[in-house]
Amino acid sequence: MTQSHYKFLRDRWRARHQDLQRKLWSKHRESLEWLSNNYRQLVAGSFGGLMLLTGQISNPFPSLPIANAQSTVPKMDKKVFLISDLALILPKDVRPLEIEEEEKISDILSRTYGIIITAELEGKRLDRSYGLIGAEQHLARFPGDNLSSHFDSDEDRKLYWQQGMAPGLGAWIYFAPSKEALTELGKDRERYYIAAQIFLSKDFNSRFAEYRDFYKYRKMLVVNPNNGRAVVADIADAGPRESTGKHLGGSPEVMHYLERVDGSLKGSVLYFFIDDPDGKIKLGPISP
Amino acid sequence: MRKKYFYTHIVDTSTLSLEIGDMDLTPKERLHLISLIDSNIHHEILDLVLSELNSEDKKIFLTHLASEDHDKVWKFLNEKVENIEEKIKKTAEDLKRELYKDIKETKVRS
Repeated sequence: MTQSHYKFLRDRWRARHQDLQRKLWSKHRESLEWLSNNYRQLVAGSFGGLMLLTGQISNPFPSLPIANAQSTVPKMDKKVFLISDLALILPKDVRPLEIEEEEKISDILSRTYGIIITAELEGKRLDRSYGLIGAEQHLARFPGDNLSSHFDSDEDRKLYWQQGMAPGLGAWIYFAPSKEALTELGKDRERYYIAAQIFLSKDFNSRFAEYRDFYKYRKMLVVNPNNGRAVVADIADAGPRESTGKHLGGSPEVMHYLERVDGSLKGSVLYFFIDDPDGKIKLGPISP
Repeated sequence: MRKKYFYTHIVDTSTLSLEIGDMDLTPKERLHLISLIDSNIHHEILDLVLSELNSEDKKIFLTHLASEDHDKVWKFLNEKVENIEEKIKKTAEDLKRELYKDIKETKVRS
């Protein structure tokens, strides 16, 4: 009985909501597109400002994604919907999210990207899923890898050379035993790596081997909630230290794509596990 | 906690929330339906307001809305649209009636 009441109202109100969204975009497209092109300036003083594009629709059932009307509006608008949806839930201060907040965000990210996004996977979770990201350096992918051998193109070299090589190795040592053995996957694992505070996970020390294996190259979706940019990243290092005040580290490529910087201007990101048991989801930037 | 919109003080959705509260639903289902109510009303009101404004005024309105400065929103709307408060109330009431009918219908069907 519960399900029938719920389903009836949910389906009817979802359909109504879709119609309203279509109507809104159809009648006021120019103004809303103007907004989408200027959202960064508009939200500079108030993170929640973009909620005006859509009210909150928290979907408690990821397996039954809300059929959204975004498919009827231009692709560029989807990012604005994501920003506005996240703004409704995220706190103004950067703090660990409550479980309920994490669930709502998982729903939003899962339906936005069409993949399963979750703060907890196989019973394991990081100590937080929303925090400040700092900049990491390039990691050596194989013995002898250095700035001369690290980049595949001149463009990459120009963009990412100055961040330099980390003096140490990643948490899982090298990505390949030699230059010849380095695969495209290995390159991407270094290119889109994050350093996560895996050592702060509950039970990490008492179940070290289990957690180590779980976190090794574990895919995570990292999202800049201010601009809607997201990257499928993998955990390839442990850090940053708690004393830095940062909660996550991003490779030069990750930071560049997310438009995040270190230092006094460092900003927040969401980072949630991607459930990808068959390894089908490609590392790198991802669009709604 | 439910979001406070610029019109929250003149649009009361508690009757709908109470109707849903009486239904045999899980807390998650109830919250989801309430969020759908809020979202539907929000879109109707946005459409109403934007439809009353010219192109430039729409941008000013959206800017005030984005800054979440409700006083500025109201000051601007009162200057630009006659009886905007009544229009918003009526739009919300019309939609609430429709949503209320849906609730009644599902109760009859059970």
